[in-house]
Amino acid sequence: MIKINNLSKKYNIPHERKNTFFEMMLGYIKSQIDWEEFYALKDISFEIKKGEIIGLIGKNGSGKTTLLKIISGIIPPTEGKVEIDGKVAPFLSLGIGFHHELTAKENLYIYGAVLGLTRKEVNEKLSHILDFAGVKRFEDTKLKHYSSGMQARLAFSMMIQTDPEILIVDEIFAVGDKDFRPKCISVFQEYKEKNKTVLFSSHSLRTIKNFCDRVILLEDGKITKIGNPEDVVNYYANKK
Amino acid sequence: MKNLSYYYNLIKELSWADFKLKYYGSVLGLFWSFLKPFLMLLILYMVFNSFLKSGINNYHIFLLLGITIWNFFADGTKASLMSITSKKSILQKINLSPFIVVISTIIHSFWTFIITLIIFFILFFYFGLSLSISVLLLPVFIILLVLLILGTSFLVAPLHMKFKDFEHIWDVFLQMLFWATPIVYQYTAVPDKYSDIYLLNPVTRLIVDARNSIIYGFVPEVKQLLITTVIILSIFIIGLLVFKKYSRKLVEEL
Repeated sequence: MIKINNLSKKYNIPHERKNTFFEMMLGYIKSQIDWEEFYALKDISFEIKKGEIIGLIGKNGSGKTTLLKIISGIIPPTEGKVEIDGKVAPFLSLGIGFHHELTAKENLYIYGAVLGLTRKEVNEKLSHILDFAGVKRFEDTKLKHYSSGMQARLAFSMMIQTDPEILIVDEIFAVGDKDFRPKCISVFQEYKEKNKTVLFSSHSLRTIKNFCDRVILLEDGKITKIGNPEDVVNYYANKK
Repeated sequence: MKNLSYYYNLIKELSWADFKLKYYGSVLGLFWSFLKPFLMLLILYMVFNSFLKSGINNYHIFLLLGITIWNFFADGTKASLMSITSKKSILQKINLSPFIVVISTIIHSFWTFIITLIIFFILFFYFGLSLSISVLLLPVFIILLVLLILGTSFLVAPLHMKFKDFEHIWDVFLQMLFWATPIVYQYTAVPDKYSDIYLLNPVTRLIVDARNSIIYGFVPEVKQLLITTVIILSIFIIGLLVFKKYSRKLVEEL
């Protein structure tokens, strides 16, 4: 179960970025305020029940990734509360944050450790992970030679190995190819059968319509519609 | 779920990755880590013993112990300074504590330190010196040194996350601290009027005490050891609080 209450995330957007110590000292001397407030998320509240598949839609920059990052615990909210019941495995889209100079296998050890798996456990699951991602041949290839789709598939395959109760996925369909998409969807459905929660964002409205229990539409950091996939997706599609 | 074995495993994997990344594609590999202190020893020994006549007995051993401790401090703090920015992409995309990143980086420097220390002891016996019971204090010094490096890293890492040029400021500071620490000279060479400030430097205190108990074979005063512990623990606790308060927020802005 995920419960979100009055969640806001505020960023200060500077008009002129101060990167060095010297620039900052100059700024203090001039004592100018040169940033403005920007709410990436504003007063978001919703609840997700156990065993639901929830789709998150909205334009680029509407706050989808920010919301998923806050739920995953990667960034703290400015205001509001997130209550989560269960183990979360966050997976966040492109360039998951692997080391490009290390091989796929070595990266899986690190990623596994972050997710709470020992080297031994990763080794046991290794062939399964590589098979699922379809990169078996490239086990000892440095990650810098992987395409972004291959990297995303690898990360997704690794993440589902930890058998989390809550799955958070950002834009997997944007990087997966036509063979990988059905695999992802069958994983989602398998999770639903096990009464686990899946929260994912996508621009593929058809997928959202077909596989979600409920859909959340984000616009400029606010939830403008939440509910039945058919209604929300049609509302969003017609609005454009 | 996040218990000690989780953190142990995570730190192990991260420092192992650091290790592999550092030596990928280098000819001498691991050897570099040890070559550096010994080249430094050679240069400083030439200058201060052959040219300037330091007049210190067993100067090579005296110097090597100072360099070993100093290098751990300098390399450890510098590496953790860089670690957060270099692991930016991981920190921003996975729920990974910045504390763990700093700790795993320091562990990498720690192993280099331990191996240099072993070489130090081999040379120590090779040159016919002998240990007294006071060497038993060594683990205490090592623990204090690790706490000092952790505390300092926690203090300076947020500064480097905020200001890209802090790296250079820290380099200059380390250079200054190197000469303000009795590595190549005896601390008794410092004029009395400066000695109060001089002895506030925890690296100085550790080097002096370590030399006394390992090379000269006497136990430092308990009072002095307590002062050292208080200084180091304050740095550690302040560092911890500062890092806890700012690190997450600064990771977002990297």
